[in-house]
Amino acid sequence: MELTIQTINHETEHCVVLGGEIDAYTGPKVKETLMSLIEPGMTLAVDLEAVEYMDSTGIGVFVAVMKASKKAGCPFYVQNMSSRVERLFRITGFYEFIAIRKGEDK
Amino acid sequence: MTRGLEAEYVQILRDYLDSQEEDELYGAQKLGKFLLRRDISPEEMVDLHGRALEKLGDVPEFVRASFRILTEVMIEYGNAQRSLNSWRSKHAQLQSEVAVASAMQQALLPQNMPTYPSVEIGAISIAAHEISGDYYDFMYVDEHQFSLTIGDITGKGIPAAMCMSMLKYAVDSLGEIRLGPDQMLRHLNRVVERNIDASMFVTMLFGCYDTQSHVFRYAVAGHEPGFLYRAQEGRFYDLAGSGVALGIDGNSQYKEQEVHLQIGDLLILLTDGVTECKLGRSYMTREELISNLQHEVHLPSQNMVDQIYRRLLMLTQFEQRDDYTMIVLKRI
Amino acid sequence: MIVAASNSETIPIEKETDIVTARQVGRNMSRQLGFGTIMQSRIATSISELARNIYLYAGTGTITIETVENDEKTGLKITALDEGPGIADLRKALEDGFTTSGALGAGLPGVRRMMDDFQMESTLGKGTRVVVIKWRE
Repeated sequence: MELTIQTINHETEHCVVLGGEIDAYTGPKVKETLMSLIEPGMTLAVDLEAVEYMDSTGIGVFVAVMKASKKAGCPFYVQNMSSRVERLFRITGFYEFIAIRKGEDK
Repeated sequence: MTRGLEAEYVQILRDYLDSQEEDELYGAQKLGKFLLRRDISPEEMVDLHGRALEKLGDVPEFVRASFRILTEVMIEYGNAQRSLNSWRSKHAQLQSEVAVASAMQQALLPQNMPTYPSVEIGAISIAAHEISGDYYDFMYVDEHQFSLTIGDITGKGIPAAMCMSMLKYAVDSLGEIRLGPDQMLRHLNRVVERNIDASMFVTMLFGCYDTQSHVFRYAVAGHEPGFLYRAQEGRFYDLAGSGVALGIDGNSQYKEQEVHLQIGDLLILLTDGVTECKLGRSYMTREELISNLQHEVHLPSQNMVDQIYRRLLMLTQFEQRDDYTMIVLKRI
Repeated sequence: MIVAASNSETIPIEKETDIVTARQVGRNMSRQLGFGTIMQSRIATSISELARNIYLYAGTGTITIETVENDEKTGLKITALDEGPGIADLRKALEDGFTTSGALGAGLPGVRRMMDDFQMESTLGKGTRVVVIKWRE
């Protein structure tokens, strides 16, 4: 149940680097962090490279953040997801709703 | 605090100061347990010790004064203890509520399997904790057809239970108007999208089985793909179909799929509690799951699901992380 | 029901040392009333918490300590009054664990448990009034 959250604030973008496990226990903390960074005019990017485990409650967090960021007019991206996480995004159909950014064009 | 207790404490203290033996210390430990049961607070204990000292001899003023500091500090510990007691009773209350919710939830699951002469159905659903986020149900359509639902609600506990009762009601009501699987999911999606928390969603497979033509028509909403076992070839295929989970987007559309079962063929429907089994540090691959399924395909459907559950539970060393549901439908 | 009140003393809370004064007055009055040493300390602690809340969140206010009597017994009544920001959700403020980070209302659940009677009113933007009584057994 380890979770690491690191926030890097650029001029027009908040980048949140997540690591460890995102599940029912750690999900609320992730949600709180991401929700607090939704600002009109700013971009919110989440890096999932260090995420080892994510379950459906974890995806639920991203669904909620996506909905809130859309409402607020704050572009929201996800980058560097592992193949496991990508599979979960694909199965749930969430993949087609979320903007994915490749790590290189940061 | 009673005088008897004070006298007993003075006695224990005196005996110990005389002998300095371990058994007096053991007596003190037992007294500690007794005092805790009687809810004696840390500050009362400090006070008791101070008074006991006075009984044993002349207490220097600086020692006496030092007790006031200790008492003051101990009141904070006492507050923590009192707060813990109130948490405890709140916890007990919550637990009994959860137990009632869990029993109610059990009642939402089908009590009997549908029986048709040409299909054999087995189902198992085991919650990881008291309350499950997995849902399945069968519905009688007519004398040749029945429908089935298998779903997984994100999260567990009370929110999942509340969502499940809503789903059950919606599926039952919409079932009355005989919608095709794609339309069924489209309507359910609207219900779910409007009525649950933004961070929740539901993955589901809904289908209708015709026991005369042995055609299974179904649609999928973000759900873990199941398997089709072709007895003739002895091979497993992924059940085709995908779609967006219920509750993510109000306008999602779903596609109807169709599969035709031959004698001996199996449909294996499941939730991600089955596929996300953790074996040591890694997750079970789909191939490993298939080889486990393969071992049990010869069994009658109910025995098969029971046996596979046992097998996987053993492989995960009896640690069930997620709610687990499997339905097997066999054409006989 | 309180039938008589006497010995009233009001301490203005403006700086941290005022908290100490309020504690001292409360301790002395509870000793005069015949409370045991632990109860004296618990009363002082409760006054301390109430005064700290005033000092930290309202800036200024008063603590009034008085002896009260009803038909059967005598007690000590403490009234904490401020014109600070007020507390939006009193139920929440009195929940254990709500204030672990030392936020608004810290220690109130503890005060409520140590005292016998506990009343609290708060209006957002207007201020907060907490009244507690400890009866002598």
